[in-house]
Amino acid sequence: MSAIAKLRYVSTPRRVREDRRFVAGHGRYVADIKAEGTLHVALVASPHAAARIVSIDASAALAMPGVHHVLTGEELAAGTDPLMNGLDTPEVRRYPLAVGQARYAGEWVAAVVADSRALAEDAAERVRISYEVLPYVLDAERALEPDSTPVHPGHGSNVLLDRTFVWGEVDKHFAESPYELSFRVIWGRSSTVPIETFGVLASWDPWRNMLEVWASIQMPKYSDQIARAVRLPANAVRVHQDVDVGGSYGVKRGIKQTVIVAYLSRRLGRPVRLIEDRLENMRAGDAHGPDRIFDVSVAFNAEGIIRSMKMRALDNVGAYAGRSPFQLGKPVGAIVGPYQIQSVQYRAVSVTTNKAAQEAVRGFGQAPTNYAIETAIDKVAEKLGLDRIEMRRRNFIRKEQFPYLIPSGSTYDSGDYHTVVAKVLDHVQWPALEQERDRLRAKGLLAGIGIAACLEPSGGNSSFEPLLNPKNTTTTWMDSCRINVDLLGDITVTIHTTSSGQGHETLAATVVGEVLEIDPDKIRIMRPDSLTSLPSNSPVGSRMAIMLGGAAFHAAHKLKRKLLRIAGHQFGLAGDQLVYAGGGIAARDGKRKLSWMDLVLIAHRHIHMMPPDTEPGLEASHIYQVPTGGILPTPDGRVQMYPCHSFEFHVILVAIDPDLGKPEIRRYVIGHDCGTVINPHIVKGMTLGGIAHGIGAALLEEFVYDEQGQMITQSFMDYLLPSSHEVPKVEIVHHCTPSPFTVLGQKGSGESGYLGAPAAISGAINDAIRPLGISVGKLPIRISALSDAVAAARAKSSVTS
Amino acid sequence: MKLEISGSEVIAAPVEVLWASLNDPAVLTRCIPGCKRMTETGPDAYMVEMQLRVAAVGGSFEGEIALTDKEPPRRCRISVSGSGSLGHGNGEAHFEISAQDDGHSLLSYSGTGEIGGLVAGVGQRILSSVSKHLIGRFFTALRQQFEPAAQAAGAQR
Repeated sequence: MSAIAKLRYVSTPRRVREDRRFVAGHGRYVADIKAEGTLHVALVASPHAAARIVSIDASAALAMPGVHHVLTGEELAAGTDPLMNGLDTPEVRRYPLAVGQARYAGEWVAAVVADSRALAEDAAERVRISYEVLPYVLDAERALEPDSTPVHPGHGSNVLLDRTFVWGEVDKHFAESPYELSFRVIWGRSSTVPIETFGVLASWDPWRNMLEVWASIQMPKYSDQIARAVRLPANAVRVHQDVDVGGSYGVKRGIKQTVIVAYLSRRLGRPVRLIEDRLENMRAGDAHGPDRIFDVSVAFNAEGIIRSMKMRALDNVGAYAGRSPFQLGKPVGAIVGPYQIQSVQYRAVSVTTNKAAQEAVRGFGQAPTNYAIETAIDKVAEKLGLDRIEMRRRNFIRKEQFPYLIPSGSTYDSGDYHTVVAKVLDHVQWPALEQERDRLRAKGLLAGIGIAACLEPSGGNSSFEPLLNPKNTTTTWMDSCRINVDLLGDITVTIHTTSSGQGHETLAATVVGEVLEIDPDKIRIMRPDSLTSLPSNSPVGSRMAIMLGGAAFHAAHKLKRKLLRIAGHQFGLAGDQLVYAGGGIAARDGKRKLSWMDLVLIAHRHIHMMPPDTEPGLEASHIYQVPTGGILPTPDGRVQMYPCHSFEFHVILVAIDPDLGKPEIRRYVIGHDCGTVINPHIVKGMTLGGIAHGIGAALLEEFVYDEQGQMITQSFMDYLLPSSHEVPKVEIVHHCTPSPFTVLGQKGSGESGYLGAPAAISGAINDAIRPLGISVGKLPIRISALSDAVAAARAKSSVTS
Repeated sequence: MKLEISGSEVIAAPVEVLWASLNDPAVLTRCIPGCKRMTETGPDAYMVEMQLRVAAVGGSFEGEIALTDKEPPRRCRISVSGSGSLGHGNGEAHFEISAQDDGHSLLSYSGTGEIGGLVAGVGQRILSSVSKHLIGRFFTALRQQFEPAAQAAGAQR
């Protein structure tokens, strides 16, 4: 860490520059991009969970005026290559439109192209498809059985991944421990539901041999994946990254949608646009997240010290693979949470079923894993009659133990969990909170306190790729930044990905301004298209404060060094005789000084005044490697996953009317330590949004399939989102333990709140219903399930008494 | 999802007249909610085109209707299967007509169906009440076939 002695802009509550245009309604989203002659796409979906496509009759649709084409899976597959699989599963082929067979209800089977979206929708109703219904499998446990109907017969089974990792002496630790307990918890399939559905506009220019793409995207290696699928050189695909994205939180993957419009634009010679409607998005867009069953065993002693853990995570990825199985890999980097668990056995199982394909969702599998770990801690405390907070304190990694190597091979950078807990307990006045819970109970309500302590691995590396796919040897996941100072001395910084609301313009301007000691508000931030960008990945894995922040920091220092060389040459002084201040450079003796504009003028106009072998102009760029990355996993699956580990500690109070079963969050306090905060408003917004998202996952949101494989929660009438009624006021207690591995001590915060909220809410509800002798172990905890369980328990107790 | 329907209705028409109406595509086209067209494709077989709105979604449905096990003028089995932008469905119902006093008839029906696709997903919670509502509309329209005078009197009042 190259510390800056006194921070001027970093960590100060400066205005988030992007907010102005968003709040005023002047964002520029993909739907705002106009291209002359654009055609529009609507999709025809499979009504069956599994069916052979016998025939597609598009004649009635094509006879309608204004309808240009009806694209089938057969035609598209002939002109494109299958989409990328993360794992080495070549027979699990995925095309944007079903080829030969539909594998889930809602899967896109044909795309209708017309002069308007409305016309395309009308024509889609005229496409006649005859199906032969096939057997299907929905349940992950069933899919794991060798005789289950394979979703992809060519693959031979439904198992995409089944690997057991053993890190440390698990059997020995279990044998030596006086206590053990086992349990199952289930994380229901939910999403992140951005306000803007996925949208993409593609335009093929045959005269320049160029595919122009505007998309609402948050996908790593997006343009490369498009180029490969549509069989174009990568330098013929130009993705415009200066498009605002109306929310993503992981799900804006968009490859299949883009391949459809890219193919159609080349086929029809017109710009083609696809903006999903909400039903397309919920049924078959990239909306669904992890759908996971955890079986956990822990071995511990009478003091509650957990020595070893066995975890099986069975993930239902739905009909196609993509990158989703990697969501079992990322949690390997924080598999023991904030605790000193000495050994771990982790069995990661990924199966296909006839549900919609799973995609990345905020945390990339970490929030479900945290929920399982925190449930274990609560259960051990209950079994031993220990206070749940004391239980955590005893098991926490201690401040002086960092950097701390966990059994699965990642080194945690820094943390001070005990202090964060102490600050939160002080803030909530713990005895008063317990009294309030007891007062609510005395009033006849069910009331409980929920606690969650968990980590946010951040700085998004992709080490889970080589970990789970031996053919993949990726060891870098870089990000980049370029700074250009023009003749008038104004600064333009380029960043090389899209943003989906994370405030990267503010981030980059703040860091460059900090290093160069220039007001960030004077710095212009631009996003070049993908062909004029430096190598970068996308803002995933809670990485941009670390990665874009790191790239901007280093680029600014390179620029500063050039300025110092110019000044040193002018003064005839060595670097240590120079003082940089506010953009100008003075000789240490104070006699000579060059202002920012003097230096700019020399660089742009006066090569004769420059040091020899110096390039004219003022430009610097930096491609930043993920700190601590660069090493392949060991054969037994130990790997450094992400470099940084933010900590969050949730304490909440929930009250439940026993007749209604509706949980109401009465108090929500979170202690948050993400190291050096670059912009407090952005971090606060991330945390509040993450908690709201966590409330949805814990209580409301689920993609439910009926026994016939029909998804029955595909509109907002049935897929319930948290509203202002469900999201309480959140009190945030800050702490800062800088990371030793990053330029400013920053860690990530893009997933904060979400990673612990479901565990805390589950813990609070279980605390509330514990007196009834019942517990709940499946998220979301729907009101109906809770009220039924409470009613059954009360009926039983009235019978026995 | 599975759907079950059953009920009975008194209609102001003699058994034979009611039987004839229920076998008349023109009458059925008027009475079936959202029915745009009904075409005879063979003996006791029809093609039906419908335009419906359920919950948040509306769209088209094309299906085949077959009448079997006919015992004029009392009993019949009707099976429906089809698909469209609303999804797919198939079902079978049995109906029976018996004579009442005053030249009225009692029509009893019961059946089961299975529905999939868009409408099953979006409208599942309300599908059984929607189906009751649609059946209600069918009988309201059917009664009007036989009560033109009463309807006219109602309009004059």
